[in-house]
Amino acid sequence: MTDILRSWIGSALPDWLIVLIAYLIVTTIVLFYAVGNFILMVWAERRVVARMQDRLGPNRVGPAGLLQPIADAVKMFTKEDIVPRNADRWVHLLAPVVSLAPVAMMLAVIPWGRGWEPIDLNVALLYIVAVSAVSGVGLMMAGWGSNNKFALLGAMRAVAQLVSYEIPAVTALLTVVVLAGGMSLLNLPHLQAGVPIMGATILCNDPAGCSPLFYTTITSFPGSPNEPVQALDLGLGWWVFTPVGLLGFVVFFIAALAEGERTPFDIPEADSEIVAGYMTEYSGMKFATFYIAQYILNFALAALAATAFLGGWQGPGVAALANMGGPWVHAAAALSAFYLLAKIWILFFVMIWLRGAFPRLRVDQLMDFAWKLLLPLALVNIVSASLMVSITQWTSAQWSGVVNLDGFASWQRQLIAVVVTAIINIAATYWILSINQRPKEEEWDEELVVAT
Amino acid sequence: MNTLITILFLVFAVFILVAAIMTVTVKNIVHAALWLISSFFGVGALYLLMEAEFLGVAQVLIYVGAVSILILFAIMLTRDLEGSQNRQLTPRWWIALIVPAALFGVLIVPTVMTHAWQLPPPPPAGQPPSISDAQQIGTAFMREYLLPFEVAAILLLVAMIGAIVVAFEEREQRRRVLTLAEQVRLRRQRQQQVATLPEPAVSAVQPSEATGSET
Repeated sequence: MTDILRSWIGSALPDWLIVLIAYLIVTTIVLFYAVGNFILMVWAERRVVARMQDRLGPNRVGPAGLLQPIADAVKMFTKEDIVPRNADRWVHLLAPVVSLAPVAMMLAVIPWGRGWEPIDLNVALLYIVAVSAVSGVGLMMAGWGSNNKFALLGAMRAVAQLVSYEIPAVTALLTVVVLAGGMSLLNLPHLQAGVPIMGATILCNDPAGCSPLFYTTITSFPGSPNEPVQALDLGLGWWVFTPVGLLGFVVFFIAALAEGERTPFDIPEADSEIVAGYMTEYSGMKFATFYIAQYILNFALAALAATAFLGGWQGPGVAALANMGGPWVHAAAALSAFYLLAKIWILFFVMIWLRGAFPRLRVDQLMDFAWKLLLPLALVNIVSASLMVSITQWTSAQWSGVVNLDGFASWQRQLIAVVVTAIINIAATYWILSINQRPKEEEWDEELVVAT
Repeated sequence: MNTLITILFLVFAVFILVAAIMTVTVKNIVHAALWLISSFFGVGALYLLMEAEFLGVAQVLIYVGAVSILILFAIMLTRDLEGSQNRQLTPRWWIALIVPAALFGVLIVPTVMTHAWQLPPPPPAGQPPSISDAQQIGTAFMREYLLPFEVAAILLLVAMIGAIVVAFEEREQRRRVLTLAEQVRLRRQRQQQVATLPEPAVSAVQPSEATGSET
């Protein structure tokens, strides 16, 4: 964007102004993209849940109820803004802003398509984790500023849940950091090129006979970090197809459900227990701001899960189009953006599906689930990820002579790594699940209670 | 570009100072915590201005995401939030002002006057300036500063074990929360006991004392 603007009006304006304008345009595009998706997501959620519950859902405003979110927005804008008399006015006012701003900032580092990334930050994964942790402050402010016991209870629940589910989420993302050898989100889709399970390890033996439709020059891939090679690339080498990526994806997606307060984990706003949690005292646009923040958080988390484990914008055809060069590169970018959007929407559909299928957890079940199941699985997965990297990439010198894999081709090493990590992950998952399913020991003496 | 950076630095510096002063002067303790959070954000912005991305992000993650939320949690679980009758200044506040100011002066004046600032050499032409990234920090922790790093890790481990021990001691003293079916069964048993034994009735069960500390 900066380069395009420079070539258009480079002489007329100072350089810093051009950079500023370019980033403003990019920010506007990304925010409009997210809000447009938010509108569709609200509609889709209501319709799909209605379908699952054998109802119709909104179907009057516009074709199939498509304009319902817009009607809702008009209602929100014109509603009276009520602030409780004893509320802390400034904290009450700032809380929705503080919870929306970090969520919007999360969108800045996600690569939305091939070559379509707003910012390349070399600590992008850490940045997303850090920024999403800030929204807890906003929830706390909402709960306290409302001067309402339900709001305070909801905020306490929300923050407790956010803090404890951050740990499995971050641990699951660490596997991605180990696999990618860095925290930049920009490289992740590039690293997930290739074919399922094997990744980009099936090389081309005869450089002249390999069609650029199927083979891509890959500069850095597991096995040969330095020299560029021609590898079979169908855009399907997603990490979710390897045992390490699958376990990491499952753990991260469940933790993301809890962070986005989706249904099995919607304790903070359990409307049958505590009205609407921290949103109890909000109306009009302030309520709408919370609503937007929640959906965009789900959108961003789905985008992060897709980028980290499902290949991001990778998909069949992207590399082939990009290899054709010329104007086809833009077609490749558009196709890749479509792939990412499709993955986000599939993940969002799974979220709706879970909402239709599961009841709400209790608080103690929630904590048990995070600490006794998800965290051990994620920790085992880090060990597997390290083994994966060391088997596929280390030379015998790095192994200090213990293991010598130098003679194997890269696809053979990949196969060994997949088998070893699959054994470890399946055994660990089976063991941890069986520990958790053991009937609980009775912690209390029934006679003792009866006697009191 | 340099004047822009200077202006931004001044804006952030003023913001941090104002937020810090508000933290210690505001009467309401929750407002004080919120001002503290804004000041942490300002420090993070300063790190970003110095192109230390990792430090800036870590500042937000640890201080805003973890420490402040812990502070807010602790405040909201205590009583007397408003603190309007709490005194903020002791009668001898000027001693408390002079001593730290003098100590700070003793530290800062010789540093500013005599220290040879180790500014990095300008990057060779055509290359972007080297940014200290997470990898360098990690290498430094594992090589030069291994001992402080390990000591801090052991300190945290000891604190964690201590917290677990404290929590378990408390847990032994409390009963499990009964479900509704168990309460009904219990009451029925008790009624049978009362019917068979002509003793004075026992007081009702109080099963819900342990719900609060489950989280």
